Amino acid sequence: MTDERELIEFVTSQRWFGSKTREVAHSQVVDRATLRQDDPRLELLLVEIRFDTGTHETYQLLADETLDALGDPRHVRELVHMIRSGAKMPGADGVVEFAPVSGFPGELREARPVGAEQSNTSIVFDEELILKVFRRLEAGINPELEVLRFLTEHGFANIAELYGWYTYAGRQMDATLGILQRFVAGGLDGWEHALATMSGDADGFIRSMRRLGEVTGTMHSTLGSDPNDPNFAPEETSGESLGLLTATVDEEIESVFLDLPDDVPELEPIRGRAEEVRERLRLLTNLGGTGRVIRCHGDFHLGQTLWGDGDWIVLDFEGEPARSLPERRRKRSPLRDVAGMLRSFAYVASAAPLQLAVEPPPGWESRVRDEFLAGYRATVEQSLVPSGAAMNKLLSVFELEKAVYELRYELNNRPDWVQIPVAGIVRLLEEEVPV
Amino acid sequence: MTEPSNWFERDPLWFKRAVFYEIHLRGFYDGNDDGSGDFRGLTDKLDYLQWLGVDCLWLLPPYPSPLRDGGYDISDFFSIHPDYGNVDDFKLFVDQAHQRGMRVISDLVMNHTSADHPWFQESRADPDGPYGDWYVWSDDDTRWDDARIIFLDTEPSNWTWDPVRLQYYWHRFFSHQPDLNYDNPEVQEQMLNVLRFWLDLGIDGFRLDAVPYLYERDGTNGENLPETHAFLKRLRAEVDARYTDRVLLAEANQWPADVVEYFGDGDECHMAFHFPVMPRLFMAVRREDALPMVEILESTPNIPENAQWGLFLRNHDELTLEMVTDDERDYMYEEYAKDPRMKLNLGIRRRLAPLLDNGRDEIQLMHAILFSLPGSPVLYYGDEIGMGDNIFLGDRDGVRTPMQWTGDRNGGFSRADFQQLYLPPLMDPVYGFQAVNVEAQLRQPNSILRWIHRLIALRKDHPVFGLGTYEALRPENPRIFAHVRTYEDDVVLCVHNLARSAQAVELDLSRWQGSVPEEMFGRTRFPAIGELPYLLTLAPRGFFWFQLRKDESE
Repeated sequence: MTDERELIEFVTSQRWFGSKTREVAHSQVVDRATLRQDDPRLELLLVEIRFDTGTHETYQLLADETLDALGDPRHVRELVHMIRSGAKMPGADGVVEFAPVSGFPGELREARPVGAEQSNTSIVFDEELILKVFRRLEAGINPELEVLRFLTEHGFANIAELYGWYTYAGRQMDATLGILQRFVAGGLDGWEHALATMSGDADGFIRSMRRLGEVTGTMHSTLGSDPNDPNFAPEETSGESLGLLTATVDEEIESVFLDLPDDVPELEPIRGRAEEVRERLRLLTNLGGTGRVIRCHGDFHLGQTLWGDGDWIVLDFEGEPARSLPERRRKRSPLRDVAGMLRSFAYVASAAPLQLAVEPPPGWESRVRDEFLAGYRATVEQSLVPSGAAMNKLLSVFELEKAVYELRYELNNRPDWVQIPVAGIVRLLEEEVPV
Repeated sequence: MTEPSNWFERDPLWFKRAVFYEIHLRGFYDGNDDGSGDFRGLTDKLDYLQWLGVDCLWLLPPYPSPLRDGGYDISDFFSIHPDYGNVDDFKLFVDQAHQRGMRVISDLVMNHTSADHPWFQESRADPDGPYGDWYVWSDDDTRWDDARIIFLDTEPSNWTWDPVRLQYYWHRFFSHQPDLNYDNPEVQEQMLNVLRFWLDLGIDGFRLDAVPYLYERDGTNGENLPETHAFLKRLRAEVDARYTDRVLLAEANQWPADVVEYFGDGDECHMAFHFPVMPRLFMAVRREDALPMVEILESTPNIPENAQWGLFLRNHDELTLEMVTDDERDYMYEEYAKDPRMKLNLGIRRRLAPLLDNGRDEIQLMHAILFSLPGSPVLYYGDEIGMGDNIFLGDRDGVRTPMQWTGDRNGGFSRADFQQLYLPPLMDPVYGFQAVNVEAQLRQPNSILRWIHRLIALRKDHPVFGLGTYEALRPENPRIFAHVRTYEDDVVLCVHNLARSAQAVELDLSRWQGSVPEEMFGRTRFPAIGELPYLLTLAPRGFFWFQLRKDESE
């Protein structure tokens, strides 16, 4: 049943397959564990996908007679049962271990998949639990598990608590396979909330942004609060850390501009302006202090937040899916998260006319930004961020980094949206450099 | 699972795709303001190394030592030199490196110890005691006189008289480094214990220093003896049985035909340095002639599938000229060591940038060739920013000066007083820390550092460089060094112009007819390969790397 061609066809046609632009040459199952022997039989497969250049990625598949067992509610319930009981299931070259945190709701009745995910597969049970199955596996601990546990242990309330997880430890690698957490029922994600209120209670939404800023500030203060945990202890930036940041962003700019396709008219406003963008980066990175670096959210935007009962919940601590695990676990300035959210405001303001044919109210974006930043400044531990103009400059650097990242993403995935990062880059070019 | 036990995907051949980075710990970064680099300092700089993209850090010996030979004179194999911190600092460093996706190997000297080592002190004091037979003692200092003297400049003989034991002891290197007696099974067992100790702490392998000289036998030159190979096989079996994904890298400064013996049948060392390539690379560039390169690669025997060459331009030692002919050596001295102070033993004690007169094109060309050859490149700290040397410092200290991080005091290496520094940083107008430092080069898009970073990233995207076959093209133009590397579906054509002038070359690429060469740095597509020879023009000291793509568009 695990014929190589079938594997390749299945994996490469999935939404969560991250390397759609690359040529797949081979595929093989590197380990398999039987999770359930009796009918319906359930197997967990680690599948290696090899590209034509000889590099590879590893994916998690759950299989019955098909390669897509997660479509069957009986199987996903079985996974949750195994987390609850702390099962250990041997594979040929390793072991799949399930671990519960504490009690969670008993009988599971309804299971429904969550649509429209980028890199994982999630299933909601009875609107109470959500199981997130990581598809692309990397050696080490997934930051989602790591950060959720830390935040839970350190009393940060605005998250969906962790109920359990499962991992693989074996010859091939040690990796996090999935997590189980509370499902926030009735929550509206920040993106939808923004769109829904754009032509209605926009003022209410704008006011709620101050709270989101406060939650973000508190989240960062919590993430930087434990000097005794080496994985989370805040660190002073080293002499060359600003140089490292500059070099990283600069190279990203160079490489994205090198790959700009000739046939996308939306790119006209920035075409041929790579040097200008890089010059702007150099201006912005002439700043004094950079604050400290901590573990961050890593991929912070409106779509990672939930609004419900008058408060915000922060979701998804995995980091940017396209980056490697060591990269996603790096300590960085918390302003990188803040910039991610600011970019998200620009996105939703541009998306409203595209998706709903609704123009945001005048000044919407700048009011949202101001509220969010005011809430953030009031709550974040001051030693984590630089002060005054340096803070604004550093924010602009991260906004630029983010816009460039978005540009590459949209070019590969949603060409219709290219104009949004293009507008962001143009705005950063035209803005005055904070002094 | 709270913490994974392993931060790497299993990959027994990782070292074949890796870029290595050699670190002089004492000179890298001072984390406690005492004027000397240490593990805490090095741990602070891991973000930089992660950015640079290197896969494996190679540390010069970090063990306790009287430092009469840069730490290669070990006085305790189970500890860390107090200048560098302690074993806990070391463990934290290894763990932090692993979390950032980098592995760590350390130098290990098995051949000898420091004369200060308690084993030697016991051995000389009590010939009948437990350590009496741990070293090589003799009443006769004429024995084994076929064995050459390696440190010609300082040592008159391989034997030195010990006034305590009233016997001569054998040493292939300095007289303060007595050779261990590998005919004694206790010595063998203890050395295995040393390996286990560090492997259990999480280290990913060793660079085995001075490995050809473990045994002595009558009527031989005492190098590459069968007994030495047998012991290395035992060591490898031990590592394979108890640990995964570790590497043994042999330092055997020998001709390739002898060095391949250190791979055994894939059951001895995983890697060995290819010493003769390096002087020939310098010769090729100076003579504008590809022949020395083509020849040395042709005369390099095949190695087992699971083995790899370590390739380098420069390291912490002198640019060694032991593995060249006398004529070639004269040529190298003539061209690269005009000042006699630059010579040391049979070699030239200079860094890469000064050897190349600080020529940017030359530095790039040499790195490009290095990275294109079959093997894993080993960079030497500081060469990525084009650091210089100080030939007025003794022995090999001239190429071991502090890493230049910033333009600030002490080059950002240490906050200690200048007088406290283990060696003065370079301060001359061309190579000094004001002109050459990491911070400034990070911010300059066209710096050598940024270029090398791109080169490393490119190599890592293409396992072909580490895993692929090598095939020399022999164009008529002798100034062009061109070859093709192939791995699975990835075909890469590397063309290097060794000349100071622009060159044209016609390459026979008929086998890849229909493929489209895509230049790998800028991803520009060149005309498709047709029936006729493929014509390329190259800038002075210029090079092209192409990925030969099967053209799908037609």
